[in-house]
Amino acid sequence: MSDENTVHITSYKEHISTWAALMLLTFMTVAVSVFGAELRTLSVATAMIIATVKATAVGYYFMHIKYDPKLYKWMMGTVLALFVFFMIMLTIDYLTR
Amino acid sequence: MDYSFHLPNSGHNFDPKSSKLGMWLFLYTELLLFGGLFLVYMVYRELNSEAFLLASFKLNVWMGTFNTLLLITSSLTIAMSITALQKGNKKLSINLMWLTILAALGFLVVKYFEWGAKFEHGLFPGMDHYGSLPLGERLYFYLYFFMTGLHGLHVIIGAIFILFVIHGVKKGTVTPERFSLSENAGLYWHFVDLIWIYLFPLFYLIH
Repeated sequence: MSDENTVHITSYKEHISTWAALMLLTFMTVAVSVFGAELRTLSVATAMIIATVKATAVGYYFMHIKYDPKLYKWMMGTVLALFVFFMIMLTIDYLTR
Repeated sequence: MDYSFHLPNSGHNFDPKSSKLGMWLFLYTELLLFGGLFLVYMVYRELNSEAFLLASFKLNVWMGTFNTLLLITSSLTIAMSITALQKGNKKLSINLMWLTILAALGFLVVKYFEWGAKFEHGLFPGMDHYGSLPLGERLYFYLYFFMTGLHGLHVIIGAIFILFVIHGVKKGTVTPERFSLSENAGLYWHFVDLIWIYLFPLFYLIH
């Protein structure tokens, strides 16, 4: 079997570590929101940052992007760049009305 | 096992790389589908931040938290079921997939009670109480029902997808050597989890 066709099998241990990190981050977000309610804007930004860290962990480890060919990272980057572009255009549109 | 079917030109009927690439391309379109809705949310939240804040207090944070933990755990079980299949442990793989489906059903049951409570209070678009709310809160509930509804639909489709994989493993069409279907069901399920990771703080925790 050539190198290219070797299947990478993610270990149970790695999956469980990812899961533990995601659980911890969820508890953190809820704590920030419920117990830090007076820090309104901070908590929205914090919640979004934590959500993005969680999403990255899901994509990178659970969805296997870490071990996939670079092509997948490039495609993902392209789609995310497109989304950010939409977001910026929309923000500029609303700010200049 | 019957491998007698061959495509006319290539002679291959097993192409895991293309299968996976196809699944990812589909997930990108899904990402932009939800992405558009997130942008709508962003604009309306900016224009009606006080109303969105008030409306968000009407959701049950603990039910949302429970569902988040349920989806994250189901992401773990589906990921482990793929590892189990690749290592040749079919029975464990099937059991882990059943656990994932169980979590999906649990998620939907919690959603049923959440939505049910909102219906009782007449908060669904078109109902009396909904109509009496200020515009900002109406937008919030409209987006809440639309986005969690669309996400719930994905949960149902994901569970059915996993059922097909269980069937395939039992029948012998999904094997430790040919696991593309199982891998793709996993990718879809993780995507469902991924969307919820954003929906949860945006609707339940924004205060």
